[in-house]
Amino acid sequence: MRNRLIRAAVAPVAMASLLLTGCAAADEGPAADATTDALVIYNAQHEQLTEEWTAAFTEETGIEVSLRNGGDSELSNQIVTEGAASPADVFLTENSPAMSLVEDAGLFAPMDPSTLELVPEQYRPSSGAWTGIAARSTVLVYNPSMITEAELPASLMDLQDPKWKGLWGAAPSGADFQAIVSAMLAIEGDDATGAWLDGMHENATVYNNNIATMKAVNAGEVPVGVIYHYYWYRDQDGTAENSGNTKLHYFGNQDPGAFVSVSGGGVLKSSTRIDEAQQFLAWLAGTAGQTILGEGYSFEYPVSTGIPARDPLPALDTLDAPVVDPSTLNGPDVVELMTEAGLL
Amino acid sequence: MTLQLSDVSKSFGATTVLEAVGFEVERGTRLAIVGASGSGKSTLLRIIAGFEEPTTGSVGLEGRRLADSTTNVGAHRRGIGYVAQDGALFPHLTVRGNIAFGLRRSPSREKRVHEVMELTSLDPELLERYPHQLSGGQQQRVALARALAPAPTVILLDEPFSALDTGLRAHTREAMVAALERSGVTTILVTHDQEEALSFGHQLAVISGGRLVQAGPPSEVFDAPLSAEVAEFLGAALFLPARTTGSGQAVCAFGELDVRHDLSNGGQAVRAMLRPSQLHVGGPTGEGDARVTAARQNGSTVELDLSLHDGFALTHRVPLYDGHRFPAGCAVSVRVDGGVVLYAAAATSDRAGTR
Amino acid sequence: MLFAAAALIPLGYVMLAAFDMGWAQFAELVFRPRVGELLTNTVLLVLLGVPFTVILGVGGAWLVERTDLPARRVFAVLLVVPLTIPAFVASYGWASAIPSIHGLGGGLLVATLAYYPLVYLPALATLRGLDPALEESARSLGMNGWRVFIRVVLPQLRLAMLGGGLVVALHLLAEYGAFAFLRFETFTTAIVVAYQATFAGPNAAALGVVLAGLCFVVLVIEAAARGRLRYARVGSGTPHPASRVALGRATPFVVAALVVLVGAAAAVPLTNVARWLFATDAADWQPLLGATWQTVLLSVAGALAAIVVALPIAWISARYPGRTARALEGTYYVASSLPAIIVALALVTFTLRVIPVMYQTVATVVAAYVLIFLPRALVSVRAGIAQIPENLEEVARSLGVSPLVAKGRVTMPLLVPSLAAGAALVALGAANELTATLLLAPTGTRTVATGFWAAASAIEYAAAAPYALTLVLLSVPAVVLMFAQVKARRSG
Repeated sequence: MRNRLIRAAVAPVAMASLLLTGCAAADEGPAADATTDALVIYNAQHEQLTEEWTAAFTEETGIEVSLRNGGDSELSNQIVTEGAASPADVFLTENSPAMSLVEDAGLFAPMDPSTLELVPEQYRPSSGAWTGIAARSTVLVYNPSMITEAELPASLMDLQDPKWKGLWGAAPSGADFQAIVSAMLAIEGDDATGAWLDGMHENATVYNNNIATMKAVNAGEVPVGVIYHYYWYRDQDGTAENSGNTKLHYFGNQDPGAFVSVSGGGVLKSSTRIDEAQQFLAWLAGTAGQTILGEGYSFEYPVSTGIPARDPLPALDTLDAPVVDPSTLNGPDVVELMTEAGLL
Repeated sequence: MTLQLSDVSKSFGATTVLEAVGFEVERGTRLAIVGASGSGKSTLLRIIAGFEEPTTGSVGLEGRRLADSTTNVGAHRRGIGYVAQDGALFPHLTVRGNIAFGLRRSPSREKRVHEVMELTSLDPELLERYPHQLSGGQQQRVALARALAPAPTVILLDEPFSALDTGLRAHTREAMVAALERSGVTTILVTHDQEEALSFGHQLAVISGGRLVQAGPPSEVFDAPLSAEVAEFLGAALFLPARTTGSGQAVCAFGELDVRHDLSNGGQAVRAMLRPSQLHVGGPTGEGDARVTAARQNGSTVELDLSLHDGFALTHRVPLYDGHRFPAGCAVSVRVDGGVVLYAAAATSDRAGTR
Repeated sequence: MLFAAAALIPLGYVMLAAFDMGWAQFAELVFRPRVGELLTNTVLLVLLGVPFTVILGVGGAWLVERTDLPARRVFAVLLVVPLTIPAFVASYGWASAIPSIHGLGGGLLVATLAYYPLVYLPALATLRGLDPALEESARSLGMNGWRVFIRVVLPQLRLAMLGGGLVVALHLLAEYGAFAFLRFETFTTAIVVAYQATFAGPNAAALGVVLAGLCFVVLVIEAAARGRLRYARVGSGTPHPASRVALGRATPFVVAALVVLVGAAAAVPLTNVARWLFATDAADWQPLLGATWQTVLLSVAGALAAIVVALPIAWISARYPGRTARALEGTYYVASSLPAIIVALALVTFTLRVIPVMYQTVATVVAAYVLIFLPRALVSVRAGIAQIPENLEEVARSLGVSPLVAKGRVTMPLLVPSLAAGAALVALGAANELTATLLLAPTGTRTVATGFWAAASAIEYAAAAPYALTLVLLSVPAVVLMFAQVKARRSG
C-alpha cells in the first residue's frame, strides 16, 4: 500500500521535472530574441529615450540590443548582487548614485579614453569608470492659482519648515528624488539632510513618481512639487494636459534645489561583448547619441561639448547649479537616511 | 480444477475481513457466493481479480500461482474478467470501444466484438451508443460482453444486478446466465440476494463474517443448511423447540415429524427447522391443531397469527382464495410436509414467524 | 517530493533572510514607525475589505438566487463581470477618472469592487446546492424572509463566506498594482518599493517576514473559524426550485443598489479603458502583438507545468487521503498564500545563489507561476479525480491492460475537462501576474501585464489602454468557465 503510494507519487513528479526542464530548453520563445547575441542593456533611463538611442544605434552598426528596464537603485543593486554572473553588458542610469554603487563594487570595465574625451569633466567621474550621457535639473513646479511667485521658497531646504506642512509633493521612492537628496547630503552634510528628511516626512505628500507629482500640482492637490525639469517640458511640448496650470521655478544660487543630476553609462567588466559595449557608449556620448537628446523626445540635456539642448530649455551653464563630483554621491547612505526618516 | 483458493486471509490494519477461506472451482462451473453486506465476499472477489493482495494464503488458476506470500500476478496478467456492480462502462467510449477495449488491434477484432454482442443478445444497433444512452440492463450486458471479449478463463461478477430495478433484474439475469452458459466460461458471482444465488448456477457458497461457512450444490445447501444462521440467511425458516425420539423422528408443537437431517450433535432437546412452504393450514375441523388469534388481509394473502396447543405462537401467510375463511378465534388444522432439520437447542427461546 | 521541497523555497527564503540579518538588524528594520504605518494600513484594509466583500458577495448571491428580483438572470451574470477586470486595471480606470482617489479609502473602494465576486461565486454555488426544504420548513414555522436568511441560510453559507473571505484576504495582502496607482501603501507595495531601492536587500526581506506572518495569521484565523467543517462538494442539486422571497416595495431600491454596484465595479473601469482606447494612436497597438504572444506562451507554459505538478498531489489526496496527503497539500496552500513579490524575491535569490543558469529564464518564471497558482489547479484536478470511479481502472486492468496504460486510456481522457479548467484558471492568473514576471522574466520579455504597467505607471493612460483591453479580453474565457461551473451545480 505504502509502496504503491510512493510509486504513484514519484512517477508523475519525475515527469513534472522532466517537463519543466523541457520547458527551460525548448520554451525560450519569449527570451529567444534577448538571450542569443544581442547586447544586454540594464536600462534605468526612460525606456522611450533608450529605445530611440538603440534603434538608431542598431540601424547604424547592425548590433542588436536587448533592454531590461527598471529603476536606478533596483538595477544597480541587481548588478551588484549578480556580480560576475551578471548577464548585463551595459548599464544606463538616470542619476549617478547608482553608477557609483556599481563602480564601488568594482564591476565596471574602464571606459575607453576616447569616449571620456567627448564629455566635459564636470559631467563624468574622475575615476573614468563610467561616463555621463545626459543631465537633468531639479526644479520646483508650482500652481500659480494656489501660490504666487513671491511666496515660493528661496531654497529647497526651506521646505522642512512646518509652515510648508501639506503644501508640497515629491516622489521619494524614485531614484530621481534620491539623487537630489544625495546632492543635499554632499553639500549640507548628514545632520542637516536627516533633519530635512524628517521635515519632509511631516510636510510632504508622497507620490509615486515625478509625473504623478506634477499632475497633482496641476490638479491643485498641492501648490508646489519637487521634480526634474524635463517632465514639464515634455508635457508642455505635447498636450500640456498634466502641466497646463503650472509654472517652473529654478532655485539657482548653487542651492541643493538647483542640483543638476548626471545620467551615467558604463560597461560591465563581466561582459562577454566588451567591444560592442564600448562602441555603444562611444556612440552615445558622440554626436549621434547626443543629438537625439538635443532634438528628440526626451528634453534631457546633452552633456557633450557643442551639442545644444532642445528649444526652449535654458542653457545648462546658466542654471547656477551646485558643483558636485558625481562620483561622490552616495545612494545607500541616502536610502538609509530616508529609511530612518520613515520615507521608505 | 480451474481456480483454487487455499487459506486466504485478508486484513486491513487491525480489521480482519477474510479468514482462512479455501475452495476450488471446476472448469465451466458457475459458482455463486452469497453473504450479507460486510461479510467479505467482495474482498474475496477482488483478491481473485488481483485488485487486492491476500494477507496470507494463495490463489491458483489452472496450475499457475496467481498470488501467495511471494508472488502477486497483476490483474492485467491473470486472464480473469470482471463485471462491476454498476457495470463501470468507460463513459468516454462507445459500446464498440468498450467491448474492444481488451482486444488487440487485429482484423479479427471487429468480428469478436460482434460475436460477444450476439452471445449476450445485444442489438448491433447499440454499437455506436455511449453508456449514458443505454438502459441499466443493457449496460450490464455490455459490461459482460466486454469482459467476455478477450476470452478469459474466469469471469467474476460483483453484484451485477443489484443496481437494477426488480423487473429488469430477472430479465437481465436470465440473459446473462444464458450467455455464460453458451460461452462455457468458469464464473463466480458475488451477491447478497439468496434467490439470485440459489438460481444462478451449479455451486453455492455461503460466506459469513469473513469465513466460508458452507459450499455445495444450491439445492443441497438450501435443503441442509449446516447452521441455523445459514438456514435463516438462505430463506424464511421456522424454528421450534423439539425433542428427538431416538427412532429418527422429532416431537414438537406440530406433533411427531420426520427428520431430514440431524445436525444437532446428539442430545434430546433440539431445535427443528422447517420452511413455511412445508406448512399447510386447512379449514377449521373439530379442535384443530391450532387457533387463529388474529387475521389480517394483506393484498392477496392473509396473515394469520396462530397459537399452537402448547402455547407456541407463529405467524403464517396463506393465499386469500384457497377456499377457506379464517375468522379470528377459529380452530385450524395444520399439516407439515417433508421432514425437519435438527439443530442444537439455542440458548435463548425461539420467536417463530415466517418472514 | 522534489516539488514539495520547491514549495518551501519562498517560506525558507523569508525565514533565512530574517535569520541571516540577525536579530539586531531585523528589529531595527521591523520596529520602526514606517512599519507601524504599513501594518495599520494593511490590517485595516483586510479588516474592512473582507467584511465588505462578504456582504456584497453573499448579498448579491442571495438576491439573484432567493428573491423575486427583476432581471435576476441578467444580474447573476453582471455581478461576475468585475472578475474579468484585473484589480490593477480597475484601479487604473478609477485613477484616470478621478485622479484624487487615493489612500485607504481609494484602496478599499477599488479592492472591494474588484474582489467581491470571489465571495459571490462560492456563495451562489452553495445557495444553488442547498435544499430549499430547510428554508421552507423554517418559513412554515412562522419565520419571515429576513429571519430565515439570518437563521437558516447564513449558517449554511459559512463555508462559502470563510473560503471566499480567505481568498479575498490573501488577495488584499498580495495586491501590488492596484494600490500602487492609488498611493495606498501596504506591506506588498512597500516591499516592491524596497526592492526598487535595494534589489533583494534586507529591507525587502524584513518586510517580507512581517507580510508572510500576516498571511499565516489569516490562515490560522480562517482555520480556527472553520473548525471541523470541511470544504466539500455540496449535495447534488436542488430537487425543486426554491420559493423566492418577495422584495415588495424594496424592489426599486435593491435594483438601484445593484446597478450602482455593477456600474462602479465594471462600468467605471471599462468605460475609462474605452475612453483612453479612442485616444490611442495606431502606433501604440504595435508592441501589443508581441506582448500578447509572450503572455500566451508564458501563461500556457505555467498552466501546463502547474497541471503536471498538481496531478500527482491531487491524485494522492483524492485516492489515498491520509496524513501524508494532507501535509503535502497543506504545504502548497501555505506556500501559495505568500504574495507573488515574496515568491519572486525568493526565486531571484535562490537562482542566483544556487542555480545561476536558471536565473532570468522562462523556467524560473514558470516555476513562480506554479508556486503562486498551484491551488487553483489542485482544486480543479482533485475534484475531477474524485468524480472518476476507481473501479474503471480496475476493470481496464482486468481486460489485460497494464496499470499505467489503464490510466492513459481511461482516467486521463475522463480527466481532460478538469485539467482544462484547472489550466485555464492558472493561465488567467499568470496572464495577469505582474511582480514575479517583472523580477524573474528573461531580459527583453514584455507581457501584456508588464506592458500595461510600464505605460500606466508612467501615467501614459492612452498607451496603457490597449494593454488593459487585452487583459480584460484574456480573462473572459476563464471567468466564463468559472461561472459555468457554478451554474452546473443545479443539474449536478
